Amino acid sequence: MQLCDLSAVEIRDKILSKKTSAVEVLESCLERINQVDGCPGSIDSRPETKEDAEKVHAFITLTEDSAREQAQSVDKMIADGDDPGPLAGIPATIKDVFCVKGTPSTIGSRILANFISPYTATPVERMRLAGAVLLGKVNLDEFTYGSSTESSAFQPSTRNPWDTSRVPGGSSGGSTASVAAGEAPLSLGTDTAGSIRQPAAFCGVVGLKPTYGRVSRYGLIAFGSSLDCPGPMARNAKDTALLLRTIAGPDKRDATGANLPVPDYLALLEKEIKGKRIGLSPDYFQITFPNLETSEYIQQPVPAEIMDATMKAAEIYRQLGAEIIEDVPMPNTRYGIPVYFVISRVEAASNLHRFDGVKYGHRTENEISDLRSLYRRSRGEGFGLQPKLRILMGMYVSAAQYSEQYYRRALQARTLIRRDFEQAFDPNGKYKLDALLTPTTPTTAFPMKDVYGDSVIMQYADQLTVPANHAGVPGISFPGGLDSNGLPIGVQLLGPDFSEGLLLQLTHAYEKATEDANWRLERPAVLREA
Amino acid sequence: MAEYEAVIGLETHIQLNTHSKIFCSCKADSWEDPANTNICPVCTGLPGVLPVLNERVVEKAILLAEAMHAQVQPISYFDRKNYFYPDLPKGYQISQFDQPIAVGGQIDLPIPETADPDGKGYVRSVRIHKLHIEEDAGKTKNARNQRLVDFNRCGVPLVEMVTEPDLRTADEAAQYLIRLRQLLRWLGISEADMEKGNLRCDGNVSIRLKGSNVLNQKTEIKNVNSIDSLRDAIRKEIDRQIREVEKGNEIHPWTLDWDEDTGELRKMRSKETEADYRYFREPDLLPLRVSSDWKKEILKDFPERPLDRRQRFADQYDLPMYDADILTLERGLADYFEETVTAYKGDPKKVSNWLMNDVLRMINDDHLEPLEMRLTPVFLSEILQLVDSATINITTGKNLLEIVQDTGKAPAQIVDEQELAQVTDDVQIREMCLKIIAANPEEADDFRGGKESLIGWFVGQVMRESRGKADAKMAKDVLFELLKK
Repeated sequence: MQLCDLSAVEIRDKILSKKTSAVEVLESCLERINQVDGCPGSIDSRPETKEDAEKVHAFITLTEDSAREQAQSVDKMIADGDDPGPLAGIPATIKDVFCVKGTPSTIGSRILANFISPYTATPVERMRLAGAVLLGKVNLDEFTYGSSTESSAFQPSTRNPWDTSRVPGGSSGGSTASVAAGEAPLSLGTDTAGSIRQPAAFCGVVGLKPTYGRVSRYGLIAFGSSLDCPGPMARNAKDTALLLRTIAGPDKRDATGANLPVPDYLALLEKEIKGKRIGLSPDYFQITFPNLETSEYIQQPVPAEIMDATMKAAEIYRQLGAEIIEDVPMPNTRYGIPVYFVISRVEAASNLHRFDGVKYGHRTENEISDLRSLYRRSRGEGFGLQPKLRILMGMYVSAAQYSEQYYRRALQARTLIRRDFEQAFDPNGKYKLDALLTPTTPTTAFPMKDVYGDSVIMQYADQLTVPANHAGVPGISFPGGLDSNGLPIGVQLLGPDFSEGLLLQLTHAYEKATEDANWRLERPAVLREA
Repeated sequence: MAEYEAVIGLETHIQLNTHSKIFCSCKADSWEDPANTNICPVCTGLPGVLPVLNERVVEKAILLAEAMHAQVQPISYFDRKNYFYPDLPKGYQISQFDQPIAVGGQIDLPIPETADPDGKGYVRSVRIHKLHIEEDAGKTKNARNQRLVDFNRCGVPLVEMVTEPDLRTADEAAQYLIRLRQLLRWLGISEADMEKGNLRCDGNVSIRLKGSNVLNQKTEIKNVNSIDSLRDAIRKEIDRQIREVEKGNEIHPWTLDWDEDTGELRKMRSKETEADYRYFREPDLLPLRVSSDWKKEILKDFPERPLDRRQRFADQYDLPMYDADILTLERGLADYFEETVTAYKGDPKKVSNWLMNDVLRMINDDHLEPLEMRLTPVFLSEILQLVDSATINITTGKNLLEIVQDTGKAPAQIVDEQELAQVTDDVQIREMCLKIIAANPEEADDFRGGKESLIGWFVGQVMRESRGKADAKMAKDVLFELLKK
């Protein structure tokens, strides 16, 4: 056990009690990174080596020097008797979707590869003010458009620390891989359809998508503005609670933020869960996806191992005194992905308009004859396949002659999805749920290149996570065992608006109840060999 | 030739005079500031930034809506208008589309005799279609081989106000702008200076046979930067359309660019295919809710509208419409007038005369704010009273205006200190008259010989002797009496 393998809370307490220093912790993390991460993602393509295939490649930009300065400053504050803040000396990675002043903020795209942000995103600023030591920016799907991190323009893309032949999930794949591999105990990511929870499930860590508006979006390069949620990833519920507490809360720079006080999530963790009503829904135990040849929809149950993990979690909660409510109908779940296809792409296409080669980012070096060709060439060269596909689709479904048929209908269906949750959580309704327990993903981590290239099927990886984004409600994914390949399985809890405290509490209770389970002793492959 | 009438609708963009921009805290007014000096990550559309609505913009928009008798919507929405242009850093403009801040409304424009072919003057009612809030774009300019962008104007708050096609002549269109400009300044919500671009106007023009109700194909006139240009441009466009129709040609839906230098309209682009802006709700802003309490708070000191006040001045103070019009050109002047009338208690027309003949000249010459003058309404009323009571004569009274304005002293005090009081003492005047007659025996003889017109010259001499203070009428009577002896 190295310093870098300790939890965030343990690290902070050791630093504050001077049993170790922030610099020592940082050095431990840097050593781990050196050991397992391999070369950082880059837009300069080169052939992949055998060694590359065994490394994690979480990072795009490692900011070692500024991290060392931050760690030294934390140590100095402690020496001077000052309080460095609740994240004192805790190393953290930042998904490269956030703008951080003075660092490349690339969103995993060639079009912003040279963009150095002149300002810092609110959640990152809050982490820094709380004393966190920021290690750098980690890889993601280009513009967060994906579920495997493979679509990043910065290659090699991140690999799963449990099996480097597999994807870490995405789009926050760099974040969850860095946490799973012990490169940092905390990471900040974003979730638009499952981009925190799905890679958390694949990498065996905890990831929380907060209620929409709970954490400021200021400085997060937008994908689907009405769906995007920044959120924490960590190795356990307590660390997740610590980071959420730091980044949550109103921000005068985000008009869609919630003006509600932030509870002390850590203090809530140990509360009794007796009497809590936890629901199970058959609509989350099957997946629906299109057969691309026949356009027919195929329904398939979630694989048995994943079902079992979810049912085991239900059993644990029952033993802890919770009431398990079965057969809660969530009938509109199956519209989640089609609705998402429309809404997220309309917003994405519009959000991508600003990348035009005029002000910042990639500008074509080819001869151009006029303004239009400057736009076309710069965007054509700068955007990868995913942004291009999403622009095409977004422009199509928002065109005047189609918008009624697609966009308006999608908005209506979104309202229905929200209604499913309102009815399930209604304290005066039939089910009166405190939370809904579901699998996080329909599969465990899939092999690299297996799904990549099939944009539709890739999207269906988010089927069980995306409804929470449509509804705006919070969700958490936590490790619930390993499958027969030794890959982590994620279990998800969804709750009503602003129920993050309860979701963390339930996760913490599950962790305590399973702390002696055999699967908890297993470590990611990259650490076993080390 | 058949008789045609024009059908004109105007689309105005009004730059609100808020201190900061609509979605960030940058200074809104960049007039004469160097390029790209009032900008930040938000108004230049850097990756990751979000807009936050400046509530002052909503307040000013609601003041305008109220003034136009428009209905403020309790809930309205912001939408993205998507298009590419280098002066639009986000690639979309945040605007309002199908649910704007206010709808409906009306203004009754008094059309003066000079703009009425019948020479009588009339009222034209113009309905307002809608008012919406939006952000301005930046500016581009060409410099040698380069195209430069200035983002200072990005995010400057605008209200777009659109009329129904209710105007019928170029003069009416000009009157609409004149009255709108007056109103905006009256409410203090815009500098409304067309030359500086804080009031911009596009005109939609079509023609039809007089008496018909159809709406024919229209053209759109852009880039007019003064009221006179708008009038000229519309006149020329009406004439052109009539010529085309008379020749049997069709009117095409062109956008026409006004060239200020040549005074001509030029075809900018044909508008056969409408651009698709792919409007959708701006997800970064909440729906705009205007509660009745907020609205009440915004409108609690809502002033009487200028045209209403003009009518009231005419009715209540029995002023000619000409006077009422001038006195209500600016709110400060109208307030000044009413405060003076209240303090004076005499004939309002007399106040109006003094204001329009003398005080207004002082205001205009020195660019004064009426209510900030040292010549306060109370002091002006005192001067009028001094004249009325014959304490001073009119000449002294008019001289006092400047002295009070220069010194800030009360008129009565100045009269005392400088002994300006009118000499009305019979003995004093008689002495002065005797002295003047004695000193000018030849003129006295001429007078007595029948040249009675010399009386004016004698009065002048007495006034000079008295340093202007003698009661001229009394002096004249005494002179007649003495010379006729």
